[in-house]
Amino acid sequence: MTAVVTLDSPPGMGRSVARALLPSRASVARVPEHVVRLAGVIQDRARLADYSRVTGLTLRDTVPPTWIHVLAFPLHVHLLSDAHATVRLVGAVHVSNTMRLQRPVSADEALDLAVHATTPRAHRRGALVDLVARAEVGGDVVWQGTSTYLATGMRAEGTPQDAPHEPFEPRALQGRWRLSSTLGRDYRRVSGDPNPIHTSRVAAKAFGFARPIIHGMWTHARALAALEQRLPSTYGVEVDFAKPILLPGTVGFRAADAPGGWDADVTTPDGAKPHLRMRVRP
Amino acid sequence: MTHNAVVLGGNRIPFAKAGGPYAEASNHDLLTAALDGLVARFGLAGERLGEVAGGAVLKHPKDFNLTREVVLSSALSPSTPACDLQQACGTGLETVVYIANKIALGQIDVGIGAGVDSASDAPITVSDGLKRALLKANRARSAGARVKALAGIRPRHLAPQAPGVAEPRTGLSMGEHQALTTARWGIGRAEQDELAAASHHHLAQAWKDGFFDDLVTPYLGVAADAIMRPDTTVEKLGALKPVFGGPEGTMTAGNSTALSDGAATALIVSEEWAAARGLTPLARIVDAEVAAVDHPGGADLLLGPVAATGRMLARRGLTLDDVALVEIHEAFASTVLATLKAWEDAEYCRSVGLDSPIGSLDRSRLNVTGSSLAAGHPFAATGARLVPTLAKLLHERGPGTKGLISMCAAGGQGVVAILEAV
Repeated sequence: MTAVVTLDSPPGMGRSVARALLPSRASVARVPEHVVRLAGVIQDRARLADYSRVTGLTLRDTVPPTWIHVLAFPLHVHLLSDAHATVRLVGAVHVSNTMRLQRPVSADEALDLAVHATTPRAHRRGALVDLVARAEVGGDVVWQGTSTYLATGMRAEGTPQDAPHEPFEPRALQGRWRLSSTLGRDYRRVSGDPNPIHTSRVAAKAFGFARPIIHGMWTHARALAALEQRLPSTYGVEVDFAKPILLPGTVGFRAADAPGGWDADVTTPDGAKPHLRMRVRP
Repeated sequence: MTHNAVVLGGNRIPFAKAGGPYAEASNHDLLTAALDGLVARFGLAGERLGEVAGGAVLKHPKDFNLTREVVLSSALSPSTPACDLQQACGTGLETVVYIANKIALGQIDVGIGAGVDSASDAPITVSDGLKRALLKANRARSAGARVKALAGIRPRHLAPQAPGVAEPRTGLSMGEHQALTTARWGIGRAEQDELAAASHHHLAQAWKDGFFDDLVTPYLGVAADAIMRPDTTVEKLGALKPVFGGPEGTMTAGNSTALSDGAATALIVSEEWAAARGLTPLARIVDAEVAAVDHPGGADLLLGPVAATGRMLARRGLTLDDVALVEIHEAFASTVLATLKAWEDAEYCRSVGLDSPIGSLDRSRLNVTGSSLAAGHPFAATGARLVPTLAKLLHERGPGTKGLISMCAAGGQGVVAILEAV
């Protein structure tokens, strides 16, 4: 039976992040085994409106699945700030994300959120960890999401499973987005993700980026916003974060319908390389 | 060959006071919510419609293609075209007329007329001086020229500019104009407060009766018109201080419309389109007209619709007695009362080119489910609120029942229309 730690209120991010920023000297990837739970999360419509403006979504009564990820994110941070964890969220690379909206979720529903981590598994560049989040209303799962992080340089048991990447074929672009230098700060405000590599040039340099990079989950939400009502009312969506986007910057976008859903890519401005690959399926 | 354009139904979101529950929502958000509610109600998801016409009075420059962008955010097929129209407070009715005309001519067989306004998200722009300096700097070909252009910016240029509320040619606000009309036509305080109270009571009764159940979809947790005060009384309204017309004025916040946020849509189709889908139309759009008065020359700003009403009824061989229900947009209670007086006034009717007075209206036929004083008045949305409301009321009374809509608008304009139940 897995232990459940129930929080009374949303965890503050400051301390967790401060801890998450400290480099870990451990070489073996380890994550807490308990579940972090927070019940009755009330959604803030003003913040949802701000989130919608920053990501290009229309403010509706039903919320986008990426918004529920934002609500669950403090639990991710809290879980990995546990003394038992050697994997740090800051510095770990968010490599992919999947989520499924089981039914349309209204902004006035109170959500019971729970997050746990899976056992780290080997990767040729380190260890992969899945943070699995769930949102329930009245005991029914309405949304679930899995965020996969790569703790580079860490070890995990097993042999690396090289998941075959779908080949990327450069095609004509359908859109070009200009990302302003303030976008990282805007998304920090609405997401609460205070990781300084998105807002500070100094911090970005410390992690090997010439300039701040935009949050992958902004790019994810912006890609969904580009498709908006062409998406079914419930769906699953998978994204791979192939290459960070530096701020300010320009990226390309393309989308094509796929069986019952959509395939979309956010690419370099010339369309040659992907930043994000997204698959939406009913 | 001409076709009958009929109102199949409508959908709006509840209207609310500016700065209230929709304070964070944009025109785009509001109109998308109203449109998606209509699409859901009539099963139009993924369909390509002939055209969606919409508009807003207070519009951001980035929203130059507001309605088309809303269509792209909606569940309609992305191949549905759209256009923005704007005729001040007449916008929502003018969009319906535009769609109905295209249907009548056989150019399209299904379309949507719509309107939205958010006084909460009004466009604040930069001053003319700042704008000119920035554009000049943008055009500059050298760094020196750019610095010189930017050096022309003065502190006074930095104050943001709120959208104008005054008539450009007279400098008077709409309320100030209406105060002149109120005094000229001798409209008393008590009758204005009575009309305002009746508007709230009628609207509240209609909500209680479930009349709006198939005309309104909740949005952002608001399920009913938020400005409505079911328990208001003439006494309570009588206690309010005048806001227009000086200390002796009769116009108050209670008998004037509140600044509002909201959006409304009306589904207009050809009779053939409705029949092919087995859908029951509510009312046919019989006729419409727009008129204007010379308010810079001293005419009553908001009595523009009077001449249009008289000409349209005459053209159709109709009198006021042939019209079972009348919707007069309640910009101010005194606008409605002055309009009714003007209809009876032979001299005024002659002065706007009518052969005879329009006639006297029995009040029991006026705004029977309330109007803008109680519901609120998101400028461009009101016409698209009135059309489905009146169409449904006429349909309930049986085929052949006729109704009249009269809307005043800024610039001394007025838009009117006749609907007939089918």
